[in-house]
Amino acid sequence: MAFRGFGGIATSGLIAAAILWSFATTDVEFSRLLSAGPRIADFFGRMFPPDPTVMAEIKKGSAETLRIAILGTLGAVILSVPLGILASETMVSPAVFRPIRTLLAFIRAIPLILVAMLMVGAVGLGPLPGIIAVAFHATGMLAKFYAEAIDGVSRAPIAALESAGAGPLVRLRYAIWPQMAPVVARDTIFRFELNLRESLILGIVGAGGIGFYIQTYVRSFQYDKAASVTIAVVVMVIAIEAINVALRRRFT
Amino acid sequence: MSTAVEVDDLSFAHTGADLPALERVSFRVSAGESVALLGPSGAGKTTLLALLDGRLQGWSGRVSVLGAPLDPDRPPPSARRPDTGFVFQEFALVERSSVLRNVLNGRLGRMSPLRALLGSPTKHDLEIARTALADCGIADLAERRVDSLSGGQRQRVAIARCLAQEPRLILADEPVSNLDPAHACEILALLTGAARTRGATALFSSHQPDLARRFAQRIIGMRDGRIVFDVPTSELNDDATAELYREVGPIPGIGLRAVS
Ligand SMILES: Nc1ncnc2c1ncn2[C@@H]1O[C@H](COP(=O)(O)OP(=O)(O)O)[C@@H](O)[C@H]1O
Ligand SMILES: [Mg+2]
Repeated sequence: MAFRGFGGIATSGLIAAAILWSFATTDVEFSRLLSAGPRIADFFGRMFPPDPTVMAEIKKGSAETLRIAILGTLGAVILSVPLGILASETMVSPAVFRPIRTLLAFIRAIPLILVAMLMVGAVGLGPLPGIIAVAFHATGMLAKFYAEAIDGVSRAPIAALESAGAGPLVRLRYAIWPQMAPVVARDTIFRFELNLRESLILGIVGAGGIGFYIQTYVRSFQYDKAASVTIAVVVMVIAIEAINVALRRRFT
Repeated sequence: MSTAVEVDDLSFAHTGADLPALERVSFRVSAGESVALLGPSGAGKTTLLALLDGRLQGWSGRVSVLGAPLDPDRPPPSARRPDTGFVFQEFALVERSSVLRNVLNGRLGRMSPLRALLGSPTKHDLEIARTALADCGIADLAERRVDSLSGGQRQRVAIARCLAQEPRLILADEPVSNLDPAHACEILALLTGAARTRGATALFSSHQPDLARRFAQRIIGMRDGRIVFDVPTSELNDDATAELYREVGPIPGIGLRAVS
């Protein structure tokens, strides 16, 4: 049981205090919530019917988002192979994998949008800062997954190949890689899906992709156009998820 | 007759273990013999076989395998390793690879490293692998993935991989401990038969006296890291085996501790 004993009481007290503190210090005006209903209705009213004339922008924006996700994932894979090896306890000593794991945890803790803003500052507007940001951000998770894939390999077949006289590279190819490959494939596909979802918002900070159009249309009160782009985004996310689920199932 | 294995005053302790796993062990096995290592769980059978396979270092004494001395501090050169084949207690197969791929893995030490890496076995390699599969009665399973097989089928794959290696000495660690009695007899007949027709020496471990008796010409009894007896099968008496399993459980193999 989670909340038993003194520790349980302390935990419950802490949660209650946090909630009360949030209410007390946030300017929660319920009157504003009450008047929100009609405004939201108005907002949705102006979204309909979605404007179909923005097809060209949708195509351009989603193609760019897709490219950012693909190249960002590729960059993350390239970074994660060496970092994953250096973060695995079967391949290196604690003196190496401990600091590398800390570094990866640190990278994971930085939100993508923050990295993207810094990258826009560093290399200018467009998809390039988006790609770099995605590659950097995704490496924090992917390298950790790769390290776990290496550490999850069963040692016995490796010893068996060594006993048969196979060298280290041959063992890597026939005993280690066959065990790792499906895990690596599933993890990479999973991370690609996350990259695609997360890179949808990159356009808001000028780091390329379809988010740019949503931002532009909402700011200029063209809700019908924003609606079309939003529908396109939802369709894209659902389609990619379906494709990825089907793909992941093949790697068992 | 030439000597396949010669062990003289061998002692070994696993790192971190309080007691030695092998203590002053001496015996010899002639080329072409079938010998059983009999003993309860923890007797040191796996340790002894792994050591003969060149996988353990830091022992004392003298050990010679197939005419060449083992170095107590480093593994044997890889060129010599294919001559000693090993059938692992838990099979040690690559679960996601096909049966044929696993059996071909036994040939990796016989190929040039480049050919092995490129993954192109010669006609000769394939022929040997297919023969090993047929000898083990699993020719029809060649394309199946190992993770879809039963325990008995996996055991056959493990033996086929060992045979494909064309070893002159076959070390088998409890090759039938996971099988029911009927299958156990079949597998041991297969293993010792294949060794005989190939002119190879076979040394297998078992914790079941009746099986050791049936398939070995000689039986070496082990307990607590020491050799308790070393006799031709015909001279093995029940008192000797009882001594082996004293305080551990009744023979044959009923009520023994789990086999490690
Ligand atoms: N890797 C290891 N580390 C420490 N002790 C071990 C290790 N492997 C085996 N031992 C110990 O060595 C002794 C012999 O074990 P083993 O050779 O596996 O016996 P058997 O195969 O006859 O069951 C046992 O006491 C066991 O606990
Ligand atoms: Mg054992």
